[in-house]
Amino acid sequence: MNRDSLLAQIGWVCAALGLALFLTILVAWPAGAPPFETIYVLFKGGVSSMSKIGRVLAGWVPLTLCAVGLLVPFTARLWNIGVEGQVIMGAIFCTAALRPYDEGGALQIALAIGAAMLGGALWALLAGCLRVFGRVHEIFSGLGLNFVALGVTLWLIFGPWKRPGVASMSGTQPLDMSLWLPRLGKLSVSWVGLALAIAATIFVYILLYRTKWGLKMRAVGENPKAATLFSLGPRRRLLQAFMICGALAGLAGATQVLGVYHRLLPAISSNYGYTALLVGMMASFRLPLVPFICLFFASLNVGSIQLPLQLGLDSSLSGVIQGVMVLSLFIVQGLRLWLRQRKEAD
Amino acid sequence: MIVLNDIHKHYGRVRANDGISLTLEPGRIYALVGENGAGKSTLMRVLAGHTRPTSGTLEIGGETISHLTPTLAREKGVGMLYQDPLDFPAMPVWENFQLGAPKRSKQEVVDVIGELSYRLDACFLPDEPVSSLTVGERQLLELLRLLDLGATTLILDEPTTGITPEQKQDLFDLLMKLAREEGHTIILVTHKLSEAFEMADSIFIMRQGALVATLEPPYDEKELVHLMFGDAADGEVEALPELPPKDVTPRLTMRDTLFAGPKYSMGDLNFTARPGECIGLAGLDGSGQELFLRGLCGLDRMPGGGFDLDSATYRSNDFATLRKAGVQFVPADRLQMALFPALNLMEHITLAFPDKKGDLTDFYQSQCVDGFNLRAHPDTQANELSGGNQQRLLLSLIPNDTKLLLMEHPTRGLDAGSARQVWNHLKSRCAKGSTLIFFSPDLDEVLEHSHRVIVFYDRAIAAVVEGDDISMEVVGALMAGKSMEDIKENNS
Repeated sequence: MNRDSLLAQIGWVCAALGLALFLTILVAWPAGAPPFETIYVLFKGGVSSMSKIGRVLAGWVPLTLCAVGLLVPFTARLWNIGVEGQVIMGAIFCTAALRPYDEGGALQIALAIGAAMLGGALWALLAGCLRVFGRVHEIFSGLGLNFVALGVTLWLIFGPWKRPGVASMSGTQPLDMSLWLPRLGKLSVSWVGLALAIAATIFVYILLYRTKWGLKMRAVGENPKAATLFSLGPRRRLLQAFMICGALAGLAGATQVLGVYHRLLPAISSNYGYTALLVGMMASFRLPLVPFICLFFASLNVGSIQLPLQLGLDSSLSGVIQGVMVLSLFIVQGLRLWLRQRKEAD
Repeated sequence: MIVLNDIHKHYGRVRANDGISLTLEPGRIYALVGENGAGKSTLMRVLAGHTRPTSGTLEIGGETISHLTPTLAREKGVGMLYQDPLDFPAMPVWENFQLGAPKRSKQEVVDVIGELSYRLDACFLPDEPVSSLTVGERQLLELLRLLDLGATTLILDEPTTGITPEQKQDLFDLLMKLAREEGHTIILVTHKLSEAFEMADSIFIMRQGALVATLEPPYDEKELVHLMFGDAADGEVEALPELPPKDVTPRLTMRDTLFAGPKYSMGDLNFTARPGECIGLAGLDGSGQELFLRGLCGLDRMPGGGFDLDSATYRSNDFATLRKAGVQFVPADRLQMALFPALNLMEHITLAFPDKKGDLTDFYQSQCVDGFNLRAHPDTQANELSGGNQQRLLLSLIPNDTKLLLMEHPTRGLDAGSARQVWNHLKSRCAKGSTLIFFSPDLDEVLEHSHRVIVFYDRAIAAVVEGDDISMEVVGALMAGKSMEDIKENNS
């Protein structure tokens, strides 16, 4: 579909980055932040040392899991904004599966991961059923279910699963060391998590582009009415798309519990679900781009921690920059389309 | 007087209008004919101010301008009546009428409608919603609105699609009156030659973006057809295939069937069809023919009754089950309803024939290229195909052993050559024993290609017509709600 030369494409991406830079400066200036230093700290913060690279990778794992998962419903033209809640539900199921065990090993971890995927898939199925049978748009049901999932977490942390004696925002009783995902050397990222994220990316790629199942899913997304005429069972397929995304989001929740926080927290999802939606939009839902954009966003997240330390700025500025990047990309894409249409009209 | 001078309109490499010059004089009726895609609509849109020409000038009332805008066109008295009336169905008649007009009170608007209706022999209830009017009435209302806005040049784009022969006659009488008595310029855009012959003081013929000829009466039909279609007109449509004997097992037997669609339901349907039969459905929009097709294939519900398909009885009409049993439905709107715009041809084949395993290249070759002359690379996306090729693709996706083929407007948007190919193909399927039930808003097409015609009126079967009764007079009268007895009486 894209007939532009590679050079032109790179040129457009540079234009988008330039615009993003400009907009960031525009935002940062009135906030009293020195723009170039801010950007320098943000970008350097994620790559300055091995331990920071480890933290970046630890963020990359759940972000990638969510973002490649989102590709499946998007292929069927579904905006599974409920991915955030599905991460949380995965974390809840994961914690629940481990509650009977004071210590354990690979078997218990596998059980917890399975439970997490099931939890995410069921939560997604709920949004799917509302969409398919109740005609509730998945953006509304997803957003609603996100708040419900957060509510359930808070209730569990302050209610049935509270730490003996004290209930606090710091979460449930930490897991035993034997239930943690094994780390990659001294880095804070787990090799199991990395392997799972890479495997998920390959799995989604094969599923969508190398199987008949993926072809049918693309057909359902292209034209649901025609899919009915071809007897492709569009309803069933939409539900499947929701469930696969939900399972991968649940897996992301499990890596957060087992690999990063080792307990259930109110902020267990770290907003990775919403960030993954931004990643998907920025990649225009092209799978090969997703892992790289995830890496970039994860590094921005880690870099933003340096902002309050070095410049006394709030770390939420990185969220602003991520949003600005996606926005500038859209603006540049729109501009490009407009120019092309004008050229054709002449 | 309006003069178009060397109008060009290019879309990319496509030259929709390629240097067209013509003169329109007041008090005359013009017909603009040409097959689909000849550039008729583009030219008329230029005249109505909706499209800006690439180059060329318009001369209206002695003033030369490079292009019109809709507002300017209205000031100059140019009004266009579109094929699908551009009105707001939920709003009442008087509000629709008032759209675009200077501020007036409701009473004033109602008076104007009354006056205009009286002058032109029409009748409208100002508070009735437009959705309850027929297509013919909506057209008339739109026409009144344009006249009220001061239109002296009226462009009518395919005005006779979807209205009864009677309504058509009324419309033509009105147009004649406007031209002869009030000195309006009328331009009739049509692909039906009979209408052009009947009405026009001169006929413009367009082909491939150019004005190939302007004819004056007396018209020579052969010459006109050749100018319009070129060599493509020289083929022949095959005759309807022979029917099998009457005592053969019927393909379809409907017994007191009840279909329920989203807007209405239709009950007590009793009908029998033989293998190899071509059955046309006639009726105004919303008379029941759409529900009949959609119910038979299982897209709309069947709450009561049932039907037999080759002596197997079906009490419920599940789409997937019927599809497996050999019932295929082909909707009119190909890209919107039946194809996947961004998937390629090979992927369509893969989806349509899930039982075929392995490499489908040979199958594609035999199914699409040899069977349908679909000359496109398997990697081509469906939305890159022309209308004719889209229909060829759709037809090649229908398995050869289909028993009951249900089609909505099989030749919609096709040029004459492609339409003929489609009909020859459909008839060859019937000759091999498939039963075809089709609907077309073009009554001529229904009459030409049917062994029998089912006429729908007011959401019920009005009559099943066969033999010599398949004629414009009989079917047209049935469509308008006359009963078969009345028609027979009138004739005798």
